[in-house]
This record gives sequence, C-alpha cells and structure tokens, in this order.
Amino acid sequence: MNHMQSSRPVIRVENLTQRFRVIHERPDTLRELFTKRFRATSNVENFEALKDVSFNVYHGEMLAVVGANGSGKSTLLKAISGVYRPSSGRVEVEGTLASLLELGAGFHPELTGRENILLNGLLLGFSRRQMREREKKIVEFSEIGDFIDVPVKQYSSGMYMRLAFSVATEVDPDVLVVDEILAVGDTPFQAKCFDRLENFRRAGKTILFVTHSMVQVLKYCDRAILLEHGRLLMDDTPTKVIELYSPAALESTASPVGA
Amino acid sequence: MVINRAYSSRKASKLKWEAKAAVVTMKELFWNLQKYRELIWALALKELTIRYKRSVLGFLWALLNPMLLMIVMSVVFSTIMAAGIHHYAIFILSALVPWMFFSQSLTYAVESIVGNADLIKKVSVPKIVFPVAAVLSNVINLMLSLIPLALIVLLLGHPFYWTWILLPIYIVALAIFTLGCSLFFATANVYYRDVAHIVQIVMNMWFYLTPILYTIEQIPARWRWLFKFNPIIFVLNDFRLSVYWGLLPTFWSVVASFLCAGLAFLIGYAFFRKHQSEFVFYV
Repeated sequence: MNHMQSSRPVIRVENLTQRFRVIHERPDTLRELFTKRFRATSNVENFEALKDVSFNVYHGEMLAVVGANGSGKSTLLKAISGVYRPSSGRVEVEGTLASLLELGAGFHPELTGRENILLNGLLLGFSRRQMREREKKIVEFSEIGDFIDVPVKQYSSGMYMRLAFSVATEVDPDVLVVDEILAVGDTPFQAKCFDRLENFRRAGKTILFVTHSMVQVLKYCDRAILLEHGRLLMDDTPTKVIELYSPAALESTASPVGA
Repeated sequence: MVINRAYSSRKASKLKWEAKAAVVTMKELFWNLQKYRELIWALALKELTIRYKRSVLGFLWALLNPMLLMIVMSVVFSTIMAAGIHHYAIFILSALVPWMFFSQSLTYAVESIVGNADLIKKVSVPKIVFPVAAVLSNVINLMLSLIPLALIVLLLGHPFYWTWILLPIYIVALAIFTLGCSLFFATANVYYRDVAHIVQIVMNMWFYLTPILYTIEQIPARWRWLFKFNPIIFVLNDFRLSVYWGLLPTFWSVVASFLCAGLAFLIGYAFFRKHQSEFVFYV
C-alpha cells in the first residue's frame, strides 16, 4: 500500500480510545437512585472497548476489520460513523459516509419499504430530491418487487438486508461502512453485493468492512486490520493478518474449494 | 460536495467551546435544523401517519377526535354545567385547545429520545431532530383542530372574530415554549425513566392551576399575583382573547409569552446540548 501513502487519507483514526461506563445495576429509576445513595460501594466501571487505535484508510481501499467477538470491531465502525464521540483521540472522515451498522438501521417497522427508503436516505443526510431520483434503482437492485409497498415489519431478515444495502450503496457515498450484515443475504445476492463493492472501489471510494469470513477478506480486501481486546494488533495485507488471526482459514482457502 | 467530519474528544473540543460563545451554539442549532429540515418533516409526518395507520378513517381522526370532544364539551357546558359564562364551551375550548397541544406534545416528546434509541445507536444524526419532530407533528395536529373549533364557534353562533388571524403568532410562542420543556424532560428521561410518569402527574396539576376552566378573576385577589408565575398563562390568555373575546392582547402579555418561551427554550436546549452526546450510551 506504499503507493497510496502519498495521497491524503479519507479516514484518519488517531489514538482513538472509546470508553464505556459500565454501571453494574445502574439506578434506572429515581427510587433506586435514592436507595443506592446510601451504599458506599461504587459500581461504576470503565470499560475500554477501543484502546489507542490509530490507522488511516485511503481512496479506493477496501479495508477488512477482523477480530473475535467483543474485540471492538463494531465499536470502531460506530465511532467512524459518528454514532459515538471518542473518549479520547480523533476520528476524521472526508466526504459523505453511509453506514450499514446493523440490520435495517434506521428502518421503521410500521412504514413501507418505499417510505423507509426516503426516511433512511434523509437520516444518512441526503435530500428528498436525491432519494426520489434513486428510488427506482434502489428497488430494482434490492429485487424486493411488490414487497416494497409492504410495511417492513413483515420483511424477512434477508429482505431487510437487501433494502438496507441497496439504499446505502445507491446514495453513492464516498465512504461506505459495512458491519457483517452481508452474511444474511443468499449467495447470489451476496455475489451481487460484492460486485457492487468492487465497482465502488474502482471508482475510488473507500470501504470499511467487518466480516468473519476469511474467504471474503482474502478475495476482496486490499488490507486488513486485526483487533484484539480493543487494541489494534496488526495492520497489514490480508494474508499476513489471517496468518496471525486464523491460520487454519488460510489453509482451507488455499485449495480452490472455498471460493 | 465534500463535507468534512471530525469527531474529536471532549478534551480537544473543550478549548473550542470555551473560545466560541453562545452565538456559535445558536448557529449550530439553526444549521442543523436547516440541513435536516426534510428529515424533521418526514419524522413528524411519520408520527402522524403511524398514529392513524390501520384505521379506516385514517387522517380524518385528526379532525374527528377534537371535533367529537368539543361537541361533548359544548353540550355539557352549555346545558348541564352552564357556569354563568356566555358560551362557556367556547370560553373553555379557546384555552383548552392550545393546552391540549402543550400536554400532548410533551407526552410524546419526553419519549422522543428513548423511543428513537434504535436510530440513535445506529445513525449519526443530530439528536435534536427527534424532539423537534415530535413537537412539529403536534403543531400540525393543533392547526387541524382549529378547523373543528371554528365550526363549533359558527355552530353556537358565537361571533367569528378577525383576531383569529393572530393565532399563528401565539402558536409560534407556544411551540417554542413547548419545545423548551420537551428538550428538558426528554433529556432527563434518558437518565431516569420515571420522568415520563412524573411529567404526566405534573401536567395534571398544572392543568388545574392554570385558568382554563375558570377565569383569573375568579381567583381571590390576594392569590392572583401567584398565578403570574405560571409561564403558560400568558400565551393561553392570548388564545382566549383572540377566539372568545375578539380582543387584542396587551403588548406586554405578548412580550411575556415570548419571554417565557425563549427562557424555556434556552434552559431546555442548554440542558439537552450538554448531554446529547451521551444519549447513545443510556438509551
């Protein structure tokens, strides 16, 4: 990735620490607040989901974020998406950003798919006009068909994901953040999604991508970062990262079966 | 279009906050409201459509509901409980309609942060859009309920005064006041869910302490000064003057309406703004 180092990074994460106050038995009601006042023990604990994480992502890069459950992957994506304010350190993102953090992020179950396209787009910071122009393409790509006018609470998780992915990619953001959700789609739709991500990358956009599929990391990503207990353990080529994180996966994908 | 986003730590941005004054805060507020106006509008309409979805009459309920209530009140107060006030029903409704807006908005808005937890945890969007949308959807409701109010006025043969055209001014004052209260209680409700219940009780007491069912003249003179501390009394009185009496308010009563509104908004917004970045950890 040396050739890319010369250009300005699109995402800059500097010494990012994300701390959560884990309050065991937080007083949720006033009664508890008053009764707990008299107890001497403080049950507030600081939990650091991310510890001093720094890295850059450049134009046209597809970066995989890998690590075990609870290693801080989702927290990292949320911090980059601006959902969390860093406890310390900095996160900078240049350009427009769309994120697919969880299934149907920003969908309202009572509204139809079509109504949710608009709402979701507006939440991502796009205008009504922009969304109306893209609506047809979004519906087309999602292959949801007539279900587009049905309240999304009646959708299957696959349909949810199709619509969410279609919206997030059709708005054509400069940075796309995807958290695992692609795992929900069926194989043909997954392939279609990756095709689109490839096109994105070729157009010079930046993709941040959490997955547990090492096959996907090897096949699609330029670079990978490995998180462990909130620390950035490694920032290198996919092969090198997988060698450390999950060497077994590397062996199994060496044969052409996995692809 | 390139937007630069930077999310920096509390420490780094604290210096900035100290250097820049409240002007920046207000600028930021208006910038957010301007940039997200379409979202606010969509969220407000969403509230309304969801409220009336799956009902046969749909949006008509927004008109029918207050209409039926007003008819019942007119019958009750003009025949059964005629209190010696001419057109007592209109006397009451002229202050009750804006009061109902206030109490309903607050009931909705106090839950607006907690109720949108799903969005707040997944999308980066200024949190203020949620209470603003909650109040806005009720403003739409209030404006719709002016239609049945006008019908009742005509039906009972009460004069339809030209002073009705001043109502938009009072609606603005009342909406700002309501938004201020909403921001305050919505923030508090994030930390302690009891707040939503307490608000209900407070609203009930407040209702009876406000001259809606009675006139301020009916209060013993030596207690009357106390009622001047009720911040909503001025704007409700402006409504009543327009609809029931057909009179212009005094200049000072309009000033007092907007002063109360501005003060409520400043307090509510300051509290909200101080805590908004923490909401995501508590909802």
